[in-house]
Amino acid sequence: MSRIVVFIALRQLWDRKLLNGIAVLGVALGVLVLIAINGIMQGFQVKFLDNILRISPHVTIFDKQLRPEASILTRYEDTFVAAKVAHESPSDRQLRIARPTEIVRAAEQMSGVQAAAASLVGSAVLVLGSKQYPVDLRGIDPAKQDQVTPLSAYLVEGSYRTFSAASDGIILGSGVASRLGANLGDVIVCGSGTGDRLNLKVVGFFDAGIPPVDNSRVYVKLRNAQVLLGKPDVVGRIELRLADTDSAPRVSDSVERMFGYDAESWQETNSNFLGIFAMQNTIISFVVGAILAVGGFGILAIQIMIVLQKTRDIAILRSVGFHRNDILVGFLLQGAIIALVGAAIGDLVGHYVVLALSHLKTHQEGLVKSEYFLVRDDPRFYWYGAAFALTVGLIASMIPALRGSRVEPVDVLRGQLG
Amino acid sequence: MLEVRDLCRELGAMRNRVLDEVALEIRAGEFVSITGFSGSGKSTLLYLLGALDRPSSGIVKLDGIDISLLDDDARATLRNEKLGFVFQFHFLLPEFNVLENVMIPMLRRGKRSRSECQRRASEVLESVGLGELLARRPHQLSGGQQQRASIARAVANDPRIVLADEPTGNLDSKSGLAVMQVFEHLVRAQGLTVVMVTHERTFAARTSRQLEMQDGRIIADIDQRDD
Repeated sequence: MSRIVVFIALRQLWDRKLLNGIAVLGVALGVLVLIAINGIMQGFQVKFLDNILRISPHVTIFDKQLRPEASILTRYEDTFVAAKVAHESPSDRQLRIARPTEIVRAAEQMSGVQAAAASLVGSAVLVLGSKQYPVDLRGIDPAKQDQVTPLSAYLVEGSYRTFSAASDGIILGSGVASRLGANLGDVIVCGSGTGDRLNLKVVGFFDAGIPPVDNSRVYVKLRNAQVLLGKPDVVGRIELRLADTDSAPRVSDSVERMFGYDAESWQETNSNFLGIFAMQNTIISFVVGAILAVGGFGILAIQIMIVLQKTRDIAILRSVGFHRNDILVGFLLQGAIIALVGAAIGDLVGHYVVLALSHLKTHQEGLVKSEYFLVRDDPRFYWYGAAFALTVGLIASMIPALRGSRVEPVDVLRGQLG
Repeated sequence: MLEVRDLCRELGAMRNRVLDEVALEIRAGEFVSITGFSGSGKSTLLYLLGALDRPSSGIVKLDGIDISLLDDDARATLRNEKLGFVFQFHFLLPEFNVLENVMIPMLRRGKRSRSECQRRASEVLESVGLGELLARRPHQLSGGQQQRASIARAVANDPRIVLADEPTGNLDSKSGLAVMQVFEHLVRAQGLTVVMVTHERTFAARTSRQLEMQDGRIIADIDQRDD
């Protein structure tokens, strides 16, 4: 590209400051929206997934056998008697994971698995004084579970060590505690429909930053859960923590094949949220794409106008020896500069908007608890913004540039001279 | 230097023959005027000589090269390096000052450095009497000054030949005379070759060779130096 072409392009841009400024603003607005919307959406999504991934296991093995044993009647007779037993009572087939200790040990040996822990999950009701509150009861092995879902890190009050040591400790979610009005050291009566009642002592509160979890979950020792739920020696779940969270679906598959129990990755468990996020991101891409396209149409409209006004000047440049390509490159260059200046302004303003939003105090308590507006300031967004703007700018100026490069000087001269 | 043979040009859907087998030879240092009524083919001939247009048939040879055979880019390069144009309207670029306008063809050629271009441009502008007005934009000049700036632009890049299409057509007689004198000066002092299309017989009479066209043919060719 000859320097004179750059020189002319810059001068022509500068000489139409107002028009080109409007085109620049159109692009800047698109880039600004791209950065702000992505920042807000990603801020929420990343925080949510981050919280989910810390408090949730990466892979959960459930007590559902994939190839269940045949019903007792079919086992009894060698010859086929009945394939289906109607109204079989659920208690006849108690769901459990057989030989949990072995599975835990085997799972820990798998590559990519950092830790495994057996647990039992059920529903229970907590009673403190006159207050009752239904909870999601988790019976765990404190030491192992802390390696899978680092519960001790979320303890806001009390001590995890006491929980491990005491035989009758219970850890409450912060929301559960406030609803019951429980304090450390309180003794809570805990019961379920199927097992015995137990008196448990509050030894800690946790706060995972996810209201649905904090408002419903309590942790007790596995042994106590088995008593409470009336399932002696039963293990209902084995949870795994992985080195690479993205490998969860693959690990889940191999776990199913190895142990014959239903397993679920965190992606499956949270597929409703991930689905919503994917949908959100698609919508955002459309919106941002549309806004940038409008910016592109701004460039297109203004440049077409300029090319039409400049037909005479193009003819002059062609007559003094400029090639068609010089004209083409000159207009493309103008489009690119408009796009890049717009992107720079959009990036800069976008950065400050994201910064301002991140300082905005809000009290949100829905899926994620936060004191500040959640935004993510990812440097990649700025590059995306610039790249998108440049692409749009070049595409938009292609039409005017081609039109300009096709001007025949002799046609213009004949027109001028009659 | 410039040789034309059997040159024809047909225009429009009706294939109107605007030039009809024109033959012509122009030698270095000549100041040629072409006169004739509107539609006689003067401007068309000039565009063909200037590689701005392609003939329907025939040959235009500049320094032995048939320029009608060249492709678009090659003709553009040829215009840049060997030809200078002056049109009826000044055709200066409005975004650039007078000095820059004169420099642009030289910068495109890339033979001289920027500072050399600048020196050459101011020198040429000085010689056409615009030495004081280098920093003015075209719209700040009078019609005559604009036209002299165009001549400077046409001349500065050391062309083999300058083609002028009614350079005085849009000027009052005084400014027109000044423009004529600039051409005469350049021809005399620098040995420039000029082909000028004009309506004005008084200006045509001052040139060294006078062609007259009618219906696409040259009907008179008076070379004063031959006399």
